[in-house]
Amino acid sequence: MGEVIVITSGKGGVGKTTTAANLGAGLAYLGKKVALVDTDIGLRNLDMALGLENRIVFDIVDVTSGNCRLRQALIKDKRLDGLHLLPAAQTKDKTAVSPEQMQALCDDLRKEFEYIIIDCPAGIEQGFRNAIAGADKAIVITTPEVSAVRDADRIIGLLEAAELREPTLIINRIRPKMVRQGDMMSIEDIIDILAIDLLGVIPEDEMIVITTNRGEPVVLDQGSRLGQSYRNIVRRVLGEDVPLMSLDEEGFFSKIRKMFGRK
Amino acid sequence: MAISKGSNNSPFPKHAADQEDLVDENTILVQRTLRSGQTISYHGNVVVLGDVNPGAEISATGNVIVMGALRGVVHAGAGGDENAIVMAFKLQPTQLRISDHITRPPDNEAIDADHPEMARIKDGVVTIEAFQTPAERQAKP
Repeated sequence: MGEVIVITSGKGGVGKTTTAANLGAGLAYLGKKVALVDTDIGLRNLDMALGLENRIVFDIVDVTSGNCRLRQALIKDKRLDGLHLLPAAQTKDKTAVSPEQMQALCDDLRKEFEYIIIDCPAGIEQGFRNAIAGADKAIVITTPEVSAVRDADRIIGLLEAAELREPTLIINRIRPKMVRQGDMMSIEDIIDILAIDLLGVIPEDEMIVITTNRGEPVVLDQGSRLGQSYRNIVRRVLGEDVPLMSLDEEGFFSKIRKMFGRK
Repeated sequence: MAISKGSNNSPFPKHAADQEDLVDENTILVQRTLRSGQTISYHGNVVVLGDVNPGAEISATGNVIVMGALRGVVHAGAGGDENAIVMAFKLQPTQLRISDHITRPPDNEAIDADHPEMARIKDGVVTIEAFQTPAERQAKP
């Protein structure tokens, strides 16, 4: 039986879709059977992050309303064998699906996949309630901003009320230099308020814009620190104990010293 | 105000700050952290075993005690009891109300006290002071 993990944040634009795409691709890269479900009906995005937009025929509303079978709507990824996407509908809205239908859908997906990753829409209305309806676990994304942390706190409260206990936290877009200067909330500041377990930290990096626009999950880029931070999260989801990587950027001089073989 | 009560028939003891007077009142124990958007409204005292995060609200006709960080909005003595107190291990409320007094922390000062603090009305003004146990009070009169 597969595990259903919902990725949520409350606030928009903090990186839910990007994280869902990378977590799904990372798990599939390690040989897991993964289904990604986009529940942001009306504002479909996850297909773009994976570069699968032009392959969509049926969507989640077609499945829940019985227009097609689940297998017909699932899109197989072009790079990874184990990765499948169930896209959101773009012409409907959030009321097109009910929490009961989502639960039934998750139960169907559980039979075929090891991990089902649900990309939740922003907000706390029906879209959010649909997304969490069938979930076993929740991952909360926040950025080091007061408003994002406040919304994450609200979401954690709602998750607890919905019996989704012990969500884990990903802090996205942290800038170590600004934290050092005291201009940005640190990991400790955020954990102090939210008081949940940290699943990972993603540093701010321009590369994410490029890879997401191209539809290539950065987690597959073996050479980059950004990809490494996502791969660490993937391994932690699989139950491995991976220490947090150091967020200090490599300075210019230390790079030069390395070139000359010194420490 | 939702719950109004004359001060003469107030169910609360005159010196609520004295711990022995706190017993035998209608009190609710909240054994979790109150997160943004969550509210507690209670006729009596409220004790929270956890934090009260920004965006959360507590309203009590009696006293409010938070065994953790109080960062949200708190209203003690909501029925008009001027003797109500607010106590927290880390008293950093967004807004603190006692009876019909409304206060907020000063805009430019960031006070980071590392000891429990207590707010109450003293001479008609909401005053915040370090919380002292009876033994400590006797040691330095």
